[in-house]
Amino acid sequence: MGSEVLATSDEDFSITARPNCSLSLHQRLGVFGAIASFSLCVATGFTLAGAWLVFPFAGLELLALGAAFYIIHCHSDDYERLTIAGDDLAVEKRIYKKISRVVFHRYWARVVLRETPDGDRQLWLRSHGREVEFGRYLNNDARLILAKQLKQRTGAGS
Amino acid sequence: MTTATDVHAHDDHHEHHPAGIMRWLTTTNHKDIGTMYLTFSLIMFLVGGMMILGVRAELFKPGLQLMRPEFFNQLIGVHALVMIFAALMPAATGFANWLLPLQLGAPDMALPRLNNWGFWLLPPAAILLTLPFTLALFGIGDGAVATGWTLYAPLSVQGGLGVDFAIFSIHLLGISSVLGSINIIVTIFNMRAPGMTLMKMPLFAWGWLITAFLLIATIPVLAGAVTMLLTDRHFGTHFFDAAGGGDPILFQHLFWFFGHPEVYILLLPVWGFIPHILSAFTRKPVYGYKAQVYSFWAIGILSVVVWAHHFLTVGMPVPALLYFMYSTMSISLPLAVLFFCWIANMWKGSMSFETPMLFATGWIILFGIGGLTGLVLADVAADAQYHHSYFVVAHFHYTLFAGGIMGVMAGVYFWLPKMTGRMYNEKLGKLHFWLTAIAFNMTFIPQFFLGLAGMPRRIPDYALQFADFNMISSISAFVLGLSQLLFVYNIVSCVRGHGEKAADKPWEGAEGLEWTLSSPPPYHSFTEQPVIK
Repeated sequence: MGSEVLATSDEDFSITARPNCSLSLHQRLGVFGAIASFSLCVATGFTLAGAWLVFPFAGLELLALGAAFYIIHCHSDDYERLTIAGDDLAVEKRIYKKISRVVFHRYWARVVLRETPDGDRQLWLRSHGREVEFGRYLNNDARLILAKQLKQRTGAGS
Repeated sequence: MTTATDVHAHDDHHEHHPAGIMRWLTTTNHKDIGTMYLTFSLIMFLVGGMMILGVRAELFKPGLQLMRPEFFNQLIGVHALVMIFAALMPAATGFANWLLPLQLGAPDMALPRLNNWGFWLLPPAAILLTLPFTLALFGIGDGAVATGWTLYAPLSVQGGLGVDFAIFSIHLLGISSVLGSINIIVTIFNMRAPGMTLMKMPLFAWGWLITAFLLIATIPVLAGAVTMLLTDRHFGTHFFDAAGGGDPILFQHLFWFFGHPEVYILLLPVWGFIPHILSAFTRKPVYGYKAQVYSFWAIGILSVVVWAHHFLTVGMPVPALLYFMYSTMSISLPLAVLFFCWIANMWKGSMSFETPMLFATGWIILFGIGGLTGLVLADVAADAQYHHSYFVVAHFHYTLFAGGIMGVMAGVYFWLPKMTGRMYNEKLGKLHFWLTAIAFNMTFIPQFFLGLAGMPRRIPDYALQFADFNMISSISAFVLGLSQLLFVYNIVSCVRGHGEKAADKPWEGAEGLEWTLSSPPPYHSFTEQPVIK
């Protein structure tokens, strides 16, 4: 997981968090293609020798591996960005291809920490019945530090 | 003005994590899952060990002493399946879970929920494997699988209920292995810390990456083979039935296409972490990193083209015999490179012999014997005499007990202080090593002689001429088994918080990202994304 924080002034603030992906799309396709080619060659060889039941298992397994790579690919460009500029506090999220943006009034926004069954804390921003989570790509400690910083910059703390 | 702000500062006051049974059932934390794999592996190691002590007790004297031959066969077969699939493989996966994210600088495995499912398939698989023993006590079925771990047809087609249980158990174990492999491949490729190129990865990660490739390539073949066995048994097919136009030898090809790479699946993770241990206790960097990586690749590739050396006596044409003999022998070339690198790592090093180093050094020697005796078996002419004899039993125990389990023990002693935050008892550790090394040799050297003298494997009774060596082997096996209690004691006392507090880097020469974390590491491993230069 990676994150970058920019403080453009004492008042304004921006943080972008995104997952760390060390493999590009082409490399991902290359790895999957190499594994699939070998596995299918083996399955074809045994099918020709009469053991055709190897084929469906190889197919199922490659389907599972492909699904794992696809899930990773779908989320490789995801990000979360929180920006405080002037009176606005904006949270922008990209999940797969969908980009959503929620804007709160900075002085009305409240920072809420909720404990999960795992014992971690989720960071939520809330105002006028609307709320949005931020920090899925941050670890628990980073979320707590960020919550402290946001409390100073929003609502009563600002 | 643009300033970077540290949002990752660590605060131990917020170190929360779930407790109780739910922590273990639902956890997606790589260290928790690694701990479960290692615990499961230790329990099954003891279960499999007790089974073979029953076998050795029976073989203490000629004649039938304690059990029926059918039960003897069941103990041998289930011992092998338990040790391979439920002890050694989960141990390697446990280390992968514990160490890969730490060594790669990743926050966790790429697919944590899949990781949890992968583990929880193992206990039902182990129950399926051993349940027929209990069912037989109530008059259901005739006990566990009695075909040996190879499940050769047509014996397995005709076998009892235990074969069906073993087939379903193998399916579950296979699914678990595939899920683990997918997770490891995706984690290694996608979650390395910035700057950690493939050729900067720790050797343990390389060993596991190739292991994962091998599992992906071979598990479908095993799954297909046991499913065909199941349909032959219950659905009227004749894949392996010569009377119905099938081919029993096809099963051997299918089984060993999986079974031979399986040897390297068990060994590659160990080859991966032994250099870390040698480097730490010689105070020298890993020798020949690139040579070791290329050797891993060479052995991984060769391992899928040599399978038929396990049944050279089955009646193959001479060109096939020659091919499988030479290709098998060629594995000794990259393996010799590895041995050279391990020994060169020690050359002129500032060595100290704490328990992990003792195990690593002993491992090189004993695994070397396993490798050399394997060359003998690869020779078509010699194999005609040694095939299915006790020579083979002794050879693969040098390979899998010394090369596999003793390697795992070296790893456990090396990383136990990191995992538990406590130092183990060094005196007991050293005693454990010496008892294990001596008793192991005293158990299996006589078996080489027994094999050379012609004693076949998998027999509950034998000719009088084999009595002395069998007696020595049985007594030593009990010493070997009992000495493992020291290992268990050392682990349990560290887990329970006894012993000195371990430093973050308890070994002076240890290198790697995992040693930059506290001992034990925090529940969420990296509070800052490490960058590799």
